Amino acid sequence: MQRTASQTIGPFFHEALRWRDGHRVQFAERGTSIVLTGRLLDGAGEPLADSLIETWQLSPSGKVPAAASGDARPHGLGRVETGKDGSYRIETLMPGSGSGAAPFIDVTVFARGLLKPLRTRVYFADEARVRSEPLLKPVAGSTRVKTLIATPEGTDAGGATVYRWDIRLQGVGETVFFAL
Amino acid sequence: MQPDKHENWGMTPGPRPGDVDPPYLYEDYRSTHLRAPKEKLLEVPAGLFDTPGPWVPPGFIRDKDGDLTIHGTGAPLGERMVVAGRVLGADGKPVRRSLVEIWQANASGRYHHPVDTHDAPLDPNFHGMGRALTDDEGWYRFITVKPGAYPWQNHPFAWRPAHIHFSLLGNAPVQRLVTQMYFPGDPLLALDPVYNSVPDEQARKRLIAMLALETGVEGHALGYRFDIVLAGAKSTPLGL
Repeated sequence: MQRTASQTIGPFFHEALRWRDGHRVQFAERGTSIVLTGRLLDGAGEPLADSLIETWQLSPSGKVPAAASGDARPHGLGRVETGKDGSYRIETLMPGSGSGAAPFIDVTVFARGLLKPLRTRVYFADEARVRSEPLLKPVAGSTRVKTLIATPEGTDAGGATVYRWDIRLQGVGETVFFAL
Repeated sequence: MQPDKHENWGMTPGPRPGDVDPPYLYEDYRSTHLRAPKEKLLEVPAGLFDTPGPWVPPGFIRDKDGDLTIHGTGAPLGERMVVAGRVLGADGKPVRRSLVEIWQANASGRYHHPVDTHDAPLDPNFHGMGRALTDDEGWYRFITVKPGAYPWQNHPFAWRPAHIHFSLLGNAPVQRLVTQMYFPGDPLLALDPVYNSVPDEQARKRLIAMLALETGVEGHALGYRFDIVLAGAKSTPLGL
């Protein structure tokens, strides 16, 4: 069967798609607390004040997260709106990774002006390790691979390591997005 | 950081043969101009996002979340309607126990949202938001009122056709979809760049709900049917 086409999320989604504590990703396991934060910028360098970011990731032990039937909401999934300055902030746990692969979080961006979402992946590892990821082979020799790496920036008041990762939709420093 | 020159990887942004989705850059929709990526997109294996999850626990939804007409002190203004349909994978199998979230303008074409500056009246009895989980056959059902058309800033005199926004989580990341449902016979569809950004005519038409009287409630609400087909998941969470 032919898929239903994508349409833009528009500017009016906020209250309908807002989840209680959507920025705090839930897991059944404990792990290392991290904060992923940054800004979304358009082709003119202006912030995207009206976008929605979703994250999906493995649990700290590298399993696919699954809520129990009594849990309040899905596990492993973060959902957060950008603020007026285009910023977002997700509180989560460092994802596990099998066989020495670089840990990563899948990120989907929705916004007015995006007729279909942008998909990408942010890695938590040094550049050499990220460049050796088989998935990224086509960009391994490019400076653009750096757009997929979060930068550690110290710890927050709760002791979580803060990682900064900006998303540039267009132009200089444009984030590598996935064709899907 | 400067983008690299003379590279030949990935693909050119834009529709591929048989692609039902719009391109990122669509000239007639002004907001795409500074938000569409210009670099080539990275080709990734088809199965990369076809792994199960996330799973939505049943307690996330309350029964009344599917009825948008019962959250005020009285009935909302407008033409009461039911919209129901099935969520299917590309293989035709139902997408079960999966989250459907909707939002829409009220009957006057005004959203209950701080950034909506259209001077049509708000309706204190209508916030225009609902959510539901599909059943074992993939069915969802909402009771609401028909949304009004409204002006927007794409160009002077531009109006969006009446529509309901749909967000579907699916049962695998590859199934994640945000779309809009339109109404049959709306003369604004021919002029709407968001609707017309979908390159394939049949794919566009499938964004239009079917009038289905028997889907309604006798003497109470008009019925519309809107089926949604998601990318086919090879696997589903928890054997759903």
